[in-house]
Amino acid sequence: MPFLVGPTQPAPLGQEQVSRFSLSGAEQSKNEPNQMIVLEWLFLTIAPCDAAEPWQLGSQDAATPMMQGIMDLHHDIFFFLILILVFVSRMLVRALWHFHYQTNPIPQRIVHGTTIEILWTIFPSIIPMFIAIPSFALLYSMDEVVVDPAITIKAIGHQWYWTYEYSDYNSSDEQSLTFDSYTIPEDDPELGQSRLLEVDNRVVVPAKTNLRIIVTPADVPHSWAVPSSGVKCDAVPGRSNQTSISVQREGVYYGQCSEIRGTNHASTRAPGNIGRLLSPLWLSRTTRGASHPRSKLLQRAAGAVGSRGARQ
Amino acid sequence: MAVHKMITPKAVQATLNTPSVVKEIFIGITLGTIAGGMWKMHHWNEQRKARTFYDMLEKGEISIVAEE
Repeated sequence: MPFLVGPTQPAPLGQEQVSRFSLSGAEQSKNEPNQMIVLEWLFLTIAPCDAAEPWQLGSQDAATPMMQGIMDLHHDIFFFLILILVFVSRMLVRALWHFHYQTNPIPQRIVHGTTIEILWTIFPSIIPMFIAIPSFALLYSMDEVVVDPAITIKAIGHQWYWTYEYSDYNSSDEQSLTFDSYTIPEDDPELGQSRLLEVDNRVVVPAKTNLRIIVTPADVPHSWAVPSSGVKCDAVPGRSNQTSISVQREGVYYGQCSEIRGTNHASTRAPGNIGRLLSPLWLSRTTRGASHPRSKLLQRAAGAVGSRGARQ
Repeated sequence: MAVHKMITPKAVQATLNTPSVVKEIFIGITLGTIAGGMWKMHHWNEQRKARTFYDMLEKGEISIVAEE
């Protein structure tokens, strides 16, 4: 399982490439130099960000307990898969070996065997029981409703972009913070940005905090999916679906729309930015200064989250 | 034209030394368990790496925040 660390050698494409683990929102100055923290000795492979690597076979690194549970379940099931594959392959090869027509010209006339038939019915039926236990445990834990999320974000799907709305911490005379998030066109990315993954305005959310995402569409069905977080929530016209996540580490996570909805379906992305919410300096740097509406909103949220943490 | 199959010594030996189904099943399960066990070891190793990563992150020994 590759982990997400910086490049072990200096990024050949320039300093902008190394900003993927920064806490920057889209508003951070593109000219600010960033350095990557390298964890080479811990991990087998190096990936520049929480996005799929070329020719990747496995899952992206987990950033939430939910995704970690999904990967653990996959590994548990894969154990049985390998066991059955090796066993069946062995029996097949040995049968071909023992009963080849040249070495065994007279075939055996075996019609049935009651004992063995009972055994090879009972024993395989035990395997799904061992698979079902962790599967149902994960399923029911994923369905648990987060009673007290720190932030509720509404993700509204459009053809072909997302609109995000933060409406938790507004004062009475303020409207919700709402912004559109368009994928950066294929011919317009900056040096180091991922093609068809980057957006102009990222979703900024706090780390290690229970979040509630409400997903709804404005037109046709969509689906808000972020593989690193183990989230995929359909946006169905006429209803609002809810999902909850708790991202355990800072970073930039990428997602892609997972419900086909027209010509530019492949161009819709949902990258999010996870950062520590308790740093006013970070807020001011990432949101165009402390006076920016998003910064004020997140500062208010930071206060609420901080006081909640103090009370707990 | 009748085709006569010769009972060669090799065929006689194969007939007398028929494979034991129980033995083959037991060996197959053993090999499958060993292969599955190797996968499990890989899985536990990956879990340990993830746990170590987050422990070090929690303690502040490492950071994924870009330095200025």
